[in-house]
Amino acid sequence: MTEQRLDLPQGTLDLLILKALALEPMHGWAISERLQQITSDALQVQQGSMYPALHRLERRGWVKARWAISENNRRARYYELTAAGRRQLASEAAAWRRLAAVVGLVLDMG
Amino acid sequence: MLNDLLYRLRAFFHGKAMDAEMDEELAYHLDREAEKLRLQGIAADEATRRAQIALQGSEQVRQQCREARGISFVQTVVQDVRFGLRMLRRSPGFTAVVVITLALGIGATTAIFSLVNAVLLRTIPVRNPEQLVVLQWKAHNQPSHLSTSSYGDCVYERNSEDSSGCSFSYPMFKEISAREDLFTGVMAFAGPWNLDLSGNGPASIAYGDVVSGNYFQTLGVGPALGRTLGPEDDTPGAAHVVVLDYGYWQRAFGGSVNVLGRTIHLNNSVFTIVGVADRAFTRLTPGKSINLWVPISQADALGTDRKDNIKDRRWWLTVVGRLKPGISTSEVQSALSLWFVNRVTLGDKPFWKKTDKVRLLTLPAQKGLAGIRNQFGKPLLLLMAAVGIVLLIACANVAGLMLARGAARQREMAVRIAVGSGRRRVIRQLLTESLLLSFAGASAGILVAFFGARSLTAFFSENSYSSLRLNLHPDLPVLLFAIGITVLTGIAFGLVPAFRGARANPAVSLKGGSATVASARPGNRWFGIGNGLVVLQVALSVVVLSGAGLLMRTLNKLYSIDPGFDTQHMLLFSVEPELAGYNKEKISMLYSELQERLSALPGVLKTTYSSDALLDGGLWTSDVRIKEQTGDSAQGKQFETQMLAVGPDFISTMKIPLVDGRMLRKSDMGTTNRGALVNQAFVHKYIGKRNPLGLHFDSGDPNEPDWEIVGVVADTKYDSLRREEAPTAYIPLTEGGATFELRTAASPAALMQSVRDVVNKTDSSLPVIRMRTQSESVDRLLFNERLVARLFGLFGALGLLLVCVGLYGLLSFEVARRTREIGIRTALGAQRRDMWILVLRQGVALVFAGGVIGLAAAIAVTRLLSSLLYNVRPSDPVTLTAVASVLLLVGVVACLLPARRATRIDPMEALRCE
Repeated sequence: MTEQRLDLPQGTLDLLILKALALEPMHGWAISERLQQITSDALQVQQGSMYPALHRLERRGWVKARWAISENNRRARYYELTAAGRRQLASEAAAWRRLAAVVGLVLDMG
Repeated sequence: MLNDLLYRLRAFFHGKAMDAEMDEELAYHLDREAEKLRLQGIAADEATRRAQIALQGSEQVRQQCREARGISFVQTVVQDVRFGLRMLRRSPGFTAVVVITLALGIGATTAIFSLVNAVLLRTIPVRNPEQLVVLQWKAHNQPSHLSTSSYGDCVYERNSEDSSGCSFSYPMFKEISAREDLFTGVMAFAGPWNLDLSGNGPASIAYGDVVSGNYFQTLGVGPALGRTLGPEDDTPGAAHVVVLDYGYWQRAFGGSVNVLGRTIHLNNSVFTIVGVADRAFTRLTPGKSINLWVPISQADALGTDRKDNIKDRRWWLTVVGRLKPGISTSEVQSALSLWFVNRVTLGDKPFWKKTDKVRLLTLPAQKGLAGIRNQFGKPLLLLMAAVGIVLLIACANVAGLMLARGAARQREMAVRIAVGSGRRRVIRQLLTESLLLSFAGASAGILVAFFGARSLTAFFSENSYSSLRLNLHPDLPVLLFAIGITVLTGIAFGLVPAFRGARANPAVSLKGGSATVASARPGNRWFGIGNGLVVLQVALSVVVLSGAGLLMRTLNKLYSIDPGFDTQHMLLFSVEPELAGYNKEKISMLYSELQERLSALPGVLKTTYSSDALLDGGLWTSDVRIKEQTGDSAQGKQFETQMLAVGPDFISTMKIPLVDGRMLRKSDMGTTNRGALVNQAFVHKYIGKRNPLGLHFDSGDPNEPDWEIVGVVADTKYDSLRREEAPTAYIPLTEGGATFELRTAASPAALMQSVRDVVNKTDSSLPVIRMRTQSESVDRLLFNERLVARLFGLFGALGLLLVCVGLYGLLSFEVARRTREIGIRTALGAQRRDMWILVLRQGVALVFAGGVIGLAAAIAVTRLLSSLLYNVRPSDPVTLTAVASVLLLVGVVACLLPARRATRIDPMEALRCE
């Protein structure tokens, strides 16, 4: 583990999970692998906090879960985005970008 | 939203299935992670281990997922409650002590609060009581040139600074009523008057208010039966009608609907019952209960003079108005003040001088109609404070017990935290247990409160002159109060142990059995709190006990005052023959006849009568002028003296010593040659060294004949035990009602029925009023002191008992915790005596520390009692020493059992028990 790994800011885990699921339905382990890949290991995603987050998203109706046969021929719980989840992803992503831009702007000021 | 709800419902009802799904999901994750690691060349066992570490403990994840699913709140509460109940059932002794302690604390507090609520807080049970205002005048002096009556509705001040009152004349009431720009209605009332009621079984006394016709409309009170009074009833010449109080209707008329249209006699006039007032209308002024209402215009039928009633110089009506919407009390006050000040300071015979600073106040009726609040307000607040302290002691006590138990459960908490329960979860579990305990305590406490409040009302009404009815039915404030203190106590005594439990360190506590020995150090930390709680309890109970001690010494001193006459074996009762239609001549015949017949009763030694009884609540003072010689009409100086009109044999029946001259004779009762007796204080203050016998005095009115002093008697107390004996004149009784005094050979209470029979046989239409013994009268005079002393004593004893339990619990736990240490000491040769000292030293040190703090606090706060005390300083050394010794004694007793247990510890077993 490299020391430069960033801790995930509060609330962004949900956004990252939604983004990961935007491409295709996935099961929990695959999501954690995907997050490691796309952040090039720069983010410290706690595997332990991912499952509560998935359950939370399911409760809010942004993802739904079903059991399916996985790539290694075992039963796994697959999560996929719902229509509400897509809308949520879009609005949260936009909000995040605005925030990042504003923070960047402030930091760039002389 | 809907999705959320459905999800939660599914989670709640299919919790098991969802748990199973989650297990499978996590197992899948772990397998994949381990597989990945194995592919990287890590051994199978190590791979599985690392996978689990990466997931940070599957039990925590499971718990967090459950919480994320949103069911957990309800589920954990159910779980906590179930578990809590199981834990409490497992230690019944602990549970019982805690529940009883809380029941006593919460019950006593609620009982006193329901009294405070009834007397001080409850709103007037009429429509929109906040709109009602009562008028009150205030000035630097008493008004002159008039006669006033007041019936205890308002605060009636009469001191050097200010005078105030809320009685007004009938014309003033009419003028205020005309102000339709300020009020939607203005009513007036006076009373209660003692009315002689016949035509409904044996003659009795009813308490009747005389009210204006719009009384009920203004208050917004409807009838429960028939109708209430209306303005048409309050006109001269209207038919005589009366409306009954609901409770009185139930008690005296059996709640019969046939009362409508029935006639009764009130003071010998015929009145028709036209209705019963609404059940909810139990009172207007706190503590005053009215049996019936009669229109003002018919007050003359009750024996008063109509011309007198409507005079501007007779102030006797209390005036209550209902504010017009949008009008504030201050607007009314400024509008009426101007009118009032002009009215009473101008004219040819003004009631006040311009310099008297007359004001007219408009008070909210809730505040202005004080009633018994004047008398009981302060004692009740003192009692509330005392019972609050007892509740605090109970809380500290239970907190101490919980701490000890918490320490014993440290391992359990450590295990819970080790297997993944969050600290918050542990706190919640422990707080749930505390709340369970306090609710169990509260349910038992409600019973305590119910019986407590009932016996308190009994104590109150047994000691009041007129029937005092307090509405103690629990209402919303009482319920909220009870629930509030229950939750607060639950949190107060549960919070510290809960946080302590959550701080359990699994690494230390689970390191084998060594915990109990090693914890001598960490144990000391909570032990500091445990000690502190006992010190707090001791200190608080010292405060209550000191109050109780001071009040008891006061009572003792008051009861040992010599009133100047013999209060034992005396029976009193009153009659009001004028109400039954007697005139002056017939009254004196009646009294002579009664005196003769009563004296003939077996067991009665002597009988007399007087306008008022001594030490019975009444007092008559008057200005007199002592004349140097007969016929001297010159300007003598006026003195204020106490007066008592007495029948034959008064002095000898009361056993008042005759100092000089002779007793009153029949011949002194005439209209011209009137004899009188005076007491020594009268001679000392107003006559001096001259011979008092033969001197004359009069009431200052030259048209009245004077009295000649024929004898001097010893001083007696009159209206109050506390007040010093004042100048008193005994004059012959020739008119009006009287109280009969019977000196009996044995217990006076046993004669009550035969005395009643004698009066009934003499005249069946003459009601016997307030049959009581002289000692009961004295008890009533000291009611406030007795009430507060008795309850402070009770609360003090309760506090002491709780302290005892608290100290015992702490020391027992201490001995159990140090079993091994004590075993080792004994094995090394410590004697029994050393063990005794070990335990006693701690107990006595705690009691001593608490005692010192408590005494300091007591000296600071007992001065609040000073208005109730008599000849006892708030820092009375005798009382404080007594309290300290009782406390020390109780402290030592509480130490005995644990200390004995310490000496019985067998070193062999103690060392093996780990």
